[in-house]
Amino acid sequence: MTLTYTTDLSPVRALVEAHARAARLPEAKVIDLVLAVSEVAANTLRHAGSPGTLDIWHDDREIICVLHDKGFISDPMAGHQRPGPEATQGHGLWLVRQLCDLVEIRSDETGTTIRLHMGIPQP
Amino acid sequence: MNDHTQRPSVVQTGVDLLTASVTARESAGEPYTLVTLSGEADVTNNDQLRDLLDAEVAKQPSHLIVEMSGLRFMDSSALHALLRANRALDRQGGVLSLVSPQEAVARMLHLTAADRLVPVYDTVEEAAAG
Repeated sequence: MTLTYTTDLSPVRALVEAHARAARLPEAKVIDLVLAVSEVAANTLRHAGSPGTLDIWHDDREIICVLHDKGFISDPMAGHQRPGPEATQGHGLWLVRQLCDLVEIRSDETGTTIRLHMGIPQP
Repeated sequence: MNDHTQRPSVVQTGVDLLTASVTARESAGEPYTLVTLSGEADVTNNDQLRDLLDAEVAKQPSHLIVEMSGLRFMDSSALHALLRANRALDRQGGVLSLVSPQEAVARMLHLTAADRLVPVYDTVEEAAAG
């Protein structure tokens, strides 16, 4: 299902949490995924100047969240460098990369799509 | 223990997402400012959180204790507000302490190593004594 978000991130987090639990992600991973999606969505609110959309689904092996907005990320190294310990900005995408098993970012003048993958531990 | 409520200020967004209250307290004769945060702190209420922390830091407290047991969620913008306050307090010779983060908040503090920069305690009493 597609959720559109504009000014409120609480519903985004609630949806991710519900899906993550339904997918039987362990609690620690639920927390991580909610945090990661919230950080991406926060960037939409901060930078994109457009609403964002969230699509989320899972299979046996992983849960996938796709966020899209009309913003443009010009820095190809976005999120790859850890901010210094006393940095008061810039943690968002770096955190997302720490939290998720795979992060794919596609960004051009038409918009930005960020795809987050979280593996579901296999028995 | 004296518990003088100096300035109970409540920050509420349109959906009452974040609540903050401030009280002046003391422990063993040492004054401290207690900021209690509950709800969810994210980019949508970051200005209010920053304004609140800036206002308290401007009063030059020797110790600012943020009690966060009721905070369900904190994102990087809220963390930044705390680190900003930490830095400003440090410059003034003051100290910031955090108390009782929930799991999601503790995760954020740990991943960013903020919990090595700002002391985290289980109770306000321990923070005040520490």
